This record gives sequence, structure tokens and C-alpha cells, in this order.
Amino acid sequence: MNDNTIKIVSFLCNWCSYGAADLAGVSRMEYPADIRVIRIPCSGRMSPKFILSAFREGADAVWVSG
Amino acid sequence: MNNKLTGSVVVIGGGISGMLSALDLANSGYYVYLVEKGPSIGGVMAQLDKTFPTNDCAM
Amino acid sequence: MDVNLCVGCGACAEKCPGKFDDGYNANLKQRTAIYVEYPQAVPLKYAINPKVCLKLTKDKCGLCEEICPAKAIDYTQKEERITLDAGSIIFSPGFKPFDPSRFDNYQYTNFANVVTSMEFERILSATGPTMGHVVTFPKLPLNPKKKQDKLLVEKRKDPKKIAWFQCVGSRDINKCDNAYCSSVCCMYAVKEAMIAKEHAGGDLDCSIFFMDMRTPGKEFEKYYENAKEKHGIKFIRSRVHSVTEDAETHDLNIRYVDEKGGIIDDTFDMIVLSVGLEISKETRELAGKLGIELTPSGFCKTSSFEPVTSSRDGIYVSGVFNSPKDIPESVLDANAAASAAGDALSAARNTLTKAVEKIPEINVVGDRPKIGVFICDCGSNIKGVVDCAGVTEYARSLPYVEFADEAMYACSQDAQNKMVEYIKEKNLNRIVVAACTPKTHEPLFQETLTNAGLNKYLFEMTNIRNHNSWVHKNNPDIATQKAKDLVRMAVAKAALSEPLKEEKINVNDTVMVIGGGLAGMTAAKSLASQGYKTHLIEKKDKLGGEAHKLYKTAQGEDVQTHLDQLIREIETNENITVHCNTTLEAVDGFVGNFKSTLKTKDTAFELDYGIAVLATGAKALVPVEYEYGKDPRIITSLDLDKRFKEKDAGLAKLNSAVFIQCVGSRQPDRPYCSRVCCTHSVDNAIELKKRNPEMDVFILYRDIRTYGERELLYKKARELGVIFIRYDREHKPEVKLLNGKVLIALNDHVLNQPVEIEADLLTLATAIIPRRDERLANFFKVPLNDEGFFVEKHAKLGPAEFATSGVFVCGSGHYPKPVNEAITQGRAAASRALTLLAKKDNLFTSGTIASVDVMKCSQCGVCVAICPYSAPRFATEGRFAGKAEINAVLCKGCGLCVASCRSGAIHLRGFDTNQIFSQIFALGEVV
Repeated sequence: MNDNTIKIVSFLCNWCSYGAADLAGVSRMEYPADIRVIRIPCSGRMSPKFILSAFREGADAVWVSG
Repeated sequence: MNNKLTGSVVVIGGGISGMLSALDLANSGYYVYLVEKGPSIGGVMAQLDKTFPTNDCAM
Repeated sequence: MDVNLCVGCGACAEKCPGKFDDGYNANLKQRTAIYVEYPQAVPLKYAINPKVCLKLTKDKCGLCEEICPAKAIDYTQKEERITLDAGSIIFSPGFKPFDPSRFDNYQYTNFANVVTSMEFERILSATGPTMGHVVTFPKLPLNPKKKQDKLLVEKRKDPKKIAWFQCVGSRDINKCDNAYCSSVCCMYAVKEAMIAKEHAGGDLDCSIFFMDMRTPGKEFEKYYENAKEKHGIKFIRSRVHSVTEDAETHDLNIRYVDEKGGIIDDTFDMIVLSVGLEISKETRELAGKLGIELTPSGFCKTSSFEPVTSSRDGIYVSGVFNSPKDIPESVLDANAAASAAGDALSAARNTLTKAVEKIPEINVVGDRPKIGVFICDCGSNIKGVVDCAGVTEYARSLPYVEFADEAMYACSQDAQNKMVEYIKEKNLNRIVVAACTPKTHEPLFQETLTNAGLNKYLFEMTNIRNHNSWVHKNNPDIATQKAKDLVRMAVAKAALSEPLKEEKINVNDTVMVIGGGLAGMTAAKSLASQGYKTHLIEKKDKLGGEAHKLYKTAQGEDVQTHLDQLIREIETNENITVHCNTTLEAVDGFVGNFKSTLKTKDTAFELDYGIAVLATGAKALVPVEYEYGKDPRIITSLDLDKRFKEKDAGLAKLNSAVFIQCVGSRQPDRPYCSRVCCTHSVDNAIELKKRNPEMDVFILYRDIRTYGERELLYKKARELGVIFIRYDREHKPEVKLLNGKVLIALNDHVLNQPVEIEADLLTLATAIIPRRDERLANFFKVPLNDEGFFVEKHAKLGPAEFATSGVFVCGSGHYPKPVNEAITQGRAAASRALTLLAKKDNLFTSGTIASVDVMKCSQCGVCVAICPYSAPRFATEGRFAGKAEINAVLCKGCGLCVASCRSGAIHLRGFDTNQIFSQIFALGEVV
């Protein structure tokens, strides 16, 4: 990962938060580009291993939303 | 009398309403002829930028 | 043009010298004589306008024939006559926007910066003549050639002030003959103002000049309030008399009278005329040929009880031709017309349809991934921010990527066709599309894969528009980098995707309709006539619901006669079983396989069915203000209907009757318009005037919302001498009971003075409130909105169904609506349900579901306990008895069991653990 930038790995539920992120776009909101979204079918799909793995890969923060 | 019935429908007008009538009928077991005077379907809705009140893209 | 040969490449249009107005862009620019309507047009086939084609008019040119690589040009084509044999006709010819050229006071033809709302719509569009940039002189080309135009274009600027004039070509019999309200202009003007502000930045000054603000649809009032309160759009209640132009700057000066009677002068950079909807002369003539009756305004004459059936047997109508309406209502009309047309032909159903040819699936299991990546520009939506060419180039460098390409609109028909070709040509076996959101576009691309013989789950979509270009528009470099990251992640995931199988669902074709009001009965009747066994559940002791309380429809039809007839038809229909005094106690199962427990009085019984229609309706609010309940002379709209129905002779003896509108509606705790009350009160006021023309009748209102041809009632009421006095939310009328009198005090908006009215009868137009049936919503896992109305699948395109498969909605439980609209929605729900029932042998589960690796399963039972849908259970027989197994139909693919399985025995197809890890790892790679 590029050392100069912050990277947030976010796991977004397809049915709510992913749709909300879509809506943020439709509403032309602006937010920092440090976030990378991984779409998951439900936050119930989340496993602690994903979070640990993201940190191991250099993520500065992990955001699970659903 | 039932023998005389024809299981097809002509839909005149390829705007949002005509298109959806055609889809419903075709998916319900009727043969549909969709007639549109222009070269493509879509009607006025295709010209709209966004739609009220959700601001969804009309296209 | 030979449409079978044309590939839509557009080579012809590049060279074509003929030009004519581009109707798609509201004539704001020109197009070539050989053209497609718009880039996403279906079918994407070029057409020649014979009136401007040089070859066809002067026998010169012929360039397109030379250029066309597909040899599709044929100048010899002649008009053909085709005879079609059909059982029904649906006539939905639509409308034409009103042409304001004839209004000399607005100078539309002479002033460059006076535009119509349709033109403004194109100005806002990224694919429009100004590419979404709001500028003055929009009718001039971006780089004009004529000297005179060049001088004007030098004065072009980004407008700072824009005004919208409402009711241009609507509610007007002085300058045009359109007495009706066009029903949509208030909404689109608010929308255009908000989007213009968004495009131009926050300091754009937007003013909307209106007579009554009519936002009576679902969620519309909130949008209007937001526009006013949060976005600073000004709403000015005034009809502007005329517009003049500054000869030098071309600024537009207007003069109007404000609400206090003061004369105001103001200057705008641009004026948008909110033009109404009109039925064209051509449509009227065609209607004449078809032999269907029209109203004086040119709309189709229909009954409130058969709202999509024309006066001629076998011809059904829908859309604006039926009455001025917006998109969701046009969609409901469309569904309803399909239902009406189909019901008439039910005996001949499935006699002429043909089966779709199934494209054999290519087996890719075990093959090395060969990924095709498609980067969408989405016009300027993505390309305007992200370096799409760079991202495409980058994609080519990624592992397993065989091919990458950029598309202007990846969703357009031509791009889809190309995708199919590339898949076949390059033997691609995984596809990645970087474009907008998979939530709307994934099914489209998956269908393209199917057409190319690939399993649709070999597809991965990543969102570089909503999650990237739209939200990082000021950081193009970072957005491009992010797009590359997202593409890399998607490619990594796609490389691990596997073809998935969809399981067949057995559909029980019995239907349950909950709610025996007008909408529910209509839905039940339609489905029964298509041959499906239908159970109609009503909690009261008789069918009919709230309609029992109504006197007449807005068209003057007697409600009770029709209602009684419909109830008789329902009760005698052998396919319908009516269950009165019955409540729903439990719901189990899923689309095609529901099972319910119902209770009639004290007896419980079970019902198996495949489809549910929720038609539970709404009810009138019991008012808590205006001294209601303290005096028999203060009643509600429905109480007044009751007195009309009972032919109460006392009504003719009243000297003074007052109606108060918006009782409980359009206020902070209930921020929606109840839609029906304005028409209801106006109608009842007319009824009172009919009984006693000398009676003083007052309607105290905030905005009169008699949309569509209901406006004619408003006009009639004024002609009969009904007095309309406006009040605003902050200054409600005050009702006092004093010395045996009912007194109403308020400020008169015309005189700007306090007035006091003594009423012999005060009718409160009460809000329509939802039943907020949370239990029912939970049973079927369907959502309720903040107010307690059901939330449909899609506000525009899915107004009669829920996101939950197999569950449909109609009637006032969705939103308050008058008789004709409830019936339309009832039919629409039936039509949507029928498309599912017709798939009886052709319905499949999703492929993205969980599956158990029995060798790893330790039989701990966590999955069985944790699943909210009861999909996993212990196998009871066979080799793996005791191990977990998952019911494919019940599984929603949420992955809860996968995450909770301590043995790692459960896999979620399409979102498997290794796929999610691959995305995380792809992020970790140094770019």
C-alpha cells in the first residue's frame, strides 16, 4: 500500500450501506477518497479474519457497516 | 366463442407506459406487438435528466 | 435502412451532410439526416429522415451507402402496410409538451434565454447540448458559425438567477384552452431548480412563480419542503404578467404582483416556462379512427371503476393519454392496462407465445481464467473525472486479464452486443465491468453473459461512478487511482468466480389477497378471471372497506352502486373464496410457497398459497383540533358524504358552510399531502351549492390540489360562487363556539384583513392515515416508511410490488388515493402477480446461496440455530444424515451461517471466503 495515504477498507452490506454509498453518489456528496469498498451480501457475512487480514495488508482502518 | 379469441395484443406507443404494458403481457402468456412511430422506444422519460423525488437517473 | 443489417456503428452519421432539429434534445441542437434517437436507444438502429436526406430529396450525396460497413442502407424502402391480428389493443400514445410560442407575453420565440422546461431538462442532462452545464443562450451552438450568433455567444454566461413560471399551458382558458392541471409541472420545476443549483453551485438563485404548489404524491411534499427549507429555493405565489428583455445584456426583466399586492420588478438571467402536457392533434385524430371517446380536454374518457378501459370494447388506454400523470402513475396504468387487456383474453392465454431459445452454456470449470474488463465512461459522469483510458490500459496489465475496453455507455445496446462478440472472439470466461452500481445494472450485464453462453455468475461489477467519480469530483487524480484499485480488486475476485446453478422453485398458484376494499377486490377479481384460486381476507364483517363511506367519485359516479355490484361479482366468482371477520395470525415460507394461519372468530385454519397481495388500505384521521366533537355542526368529510348518501334534507337549508383543508396533513408530525381531500371538499362544496345556490360556501385551504381534470371541478366551484380563502400553516383558522354559533376566524389573503365567518356546517377535510400494520409488515418482511405507509419496490418503476419476491401492494396502504387510482393499482398488482404465476414452471432461486461441505461439517448446529430464514437443517436421511444441509429456496445468501461456522464447512457462492480475501489482498498490493 502507498505509504503516504490513509486507506480505509470498508465492508458494506449490499442491502443498506452499499446502497447508502450509492445514494451519496447520487446526491453528489463529497468525501475523502481514502476508502475502498468491498461489497458483502450482509454484515452477517463478516468474519474477524477479514478484519485482521485487512490490517495485515496495511489498512489504517477497517469499517464494517450494515 | 372462446375459439375466436386471439391471444395477442397490440400496444400502440413505446413510452414508459406502453413498454411496461407490453412486458407484463408478454410475461403473462400473450404475444405482443409493440408499435412505435419513432425509430426507438423510450418516449419522453428517456429525455428526462432525473426523476422526482428520488433524483434517480431517468435513463 | 435495413434494421436487420444495421450494427449501429454510427459511421454513416459521421459523414452525413443533411441536418435537422434534434427532437430528443428539445430541438436545442441539430442532428444528421441519418440518426439514432439517443446513444442508449433501443433498438440501436439508424434511421433516415426522408425530408432532409439529400439522396432522397435531391438524389445527391449517397455517402452513407458508400460508408456503411454492414451494407444496411437501402434508399428504395417504401412505406409498408402491415395487418396485425390481435385480441386487444392498448393505446398509450403519450402527450406532447405544450408549445408556448403563441404566448406573446413570455416572448419564448424572441428571447434567447426564455426556454421551456423540456429544453431545460436537456440542458441539465450530461448527454444534452451543453453537457449538463447550465448556460445562457442554450439554443445557440457551442461554437456558432454565423457572425450574428458569434456576437451573442460572447455574452453567454453562467446564470446567477433563474425563474420558473408554472402553469404555462395549464389551468388557463384565456390564452389556451387547457383548463386542466397537468399534474407534473410543480414537481419537475422543483426538481429542475434543485439539480440546476447542484450543477451550478450553491449561489444560484432559483425562484418558482406558482399559483398553487401541487405536490400530492408519495414523498413529494417532503421534497418540496426540503427544496424550500434546505436548498433555499424561493417559491413566489404569483402569476407573472410579462417579460421584457434588456437589448444589450439580454437579461430578462419581469414585473409581478406579490401576495401583499405590491408591484415588484426583478431581473433574471434565464426563465424556464413550465409547460403543461397536451394531447396532440395527431393523437386525437387517431383516437377518432379507433372510435374511442375523449373528454373535452382531449384525454380518454374512462370510468372511475374501469380506469383503463376506453369506450370501445377491446381497447384499453394508459399513460398521460388517460389523464395527465407522472411516471409511477403511468407505470401503474401500464400494468393495469395489461391486466385489463389480458383478462378479456384469458381463455386464449399461452396460445401464441413462443419459448425463448436457450443459449447453451459453455463449460468453463477448470479452465484458466481469461478475464475481459470493460470500463464505462457513463458519458461524462465517470470520464469527466476519471482517466478512463488510463484505467483501461492499467486493467490490461492485471493478472488473467485477456482483454480490456472502454465504452461510452457500457449499458447501451451496442456496447452489450460488442461485449458478446468479444466474449466469443477472445474466449473470455470471466467478465468485469467497472461502471455504476451493481444494484441496478448487474442483471443487465448478467443477461449479456447469458447471451454469450457464459454462466451469469462469472461476472463481477465494481462501482467507479457512485462510489468514485461522483463523490471525488474535485480530485481527478485520486479518483483515477481509486478506480484502478477497484478494478484490481474486482479482477482478483472475478478470477475466483465459478459458474453457479439456480434451483427450481415450485410455485403454488393459489393467491391470498389481504384486504377486501376496492383495491383488494379488484386484484382478486382480475387474478380469478385468469383462472387462479384466490382467497380474499377481510377483517371486518363485509367486503368494501372505506368505499362504503363515499358518496360520489370525482367524476360524479355513484360509489355505492358500483361497490355493491363489485361485491356481488366477487361473492359469486367461483375462483374466489371470501373470508370475512378473518385475521392473519402467522406467515411462513417464501415466494411460491407461503403458509399462513388465519383466524375467523375463534376458529383457526391454515392456508397454502404462492402469492400475497397486501391491500390493507388506510383510514380517515379523527381530528383533535378545530373544536371537533364539541358541536354536531362540526363534522368530517366522510360525515358529510354520509349525509349526502342519506339524502339529508337539512343540507339544503344551510345558510353557510365552511370547509377547512389539510386537517392533519402537511404538518411537521404528518409531513405528507393526503391527496384526495382537496377534490373531495371541492366536490362536496358543489353538491351543497346544487342543493341551495344561495348558500355561502367557503373553502379554507393552503394550496388547492385538484390535479389533472379535477381542476375542472375547482373551476366549476368558483363559477358557482364557492369562496376560496387561503391560509398558511403558521396562521391556521381559529374555530370558536360562542353563543351557540360556530365562528371561524382567519386572515383573508386577498383583502389582507382578518375575517370571521359564521358556519351552519363546518367540514374538516381530515388527513388519510395509514394503518401502520407492523405485524403484517414483519410477516412478509416488507418495509413501512416513516409515516407508516408500505414502501414499494421502486418509487418509479415498481409501484405495485415489494422488494420481497411474491408480495404485491395496492390501495391506500401504499399512499392515499381516490377510487380510480385504487382500482388501477389493484389491477396493476394483479398484473405483476400474474407475470410471476405465469412462470409457474420456470421460477428459479438465486445462485448466490450457501452450501455445506459435508466432509468438514462437525454437526454443531450453529448454522441451524442462527439462520433467520431457517434455511439450514440437519439432513435426516442418506449418507450424510446428521450433517447440515441448506434449503436453496429459503437461503437469502446473507452469509451469516458462513461466518459463524466454526469448521469452515459452509461456502457462500459468489461471496466465498477466498473471494473476499482476494479483494483484501489485491488492496494490499503496491501499485
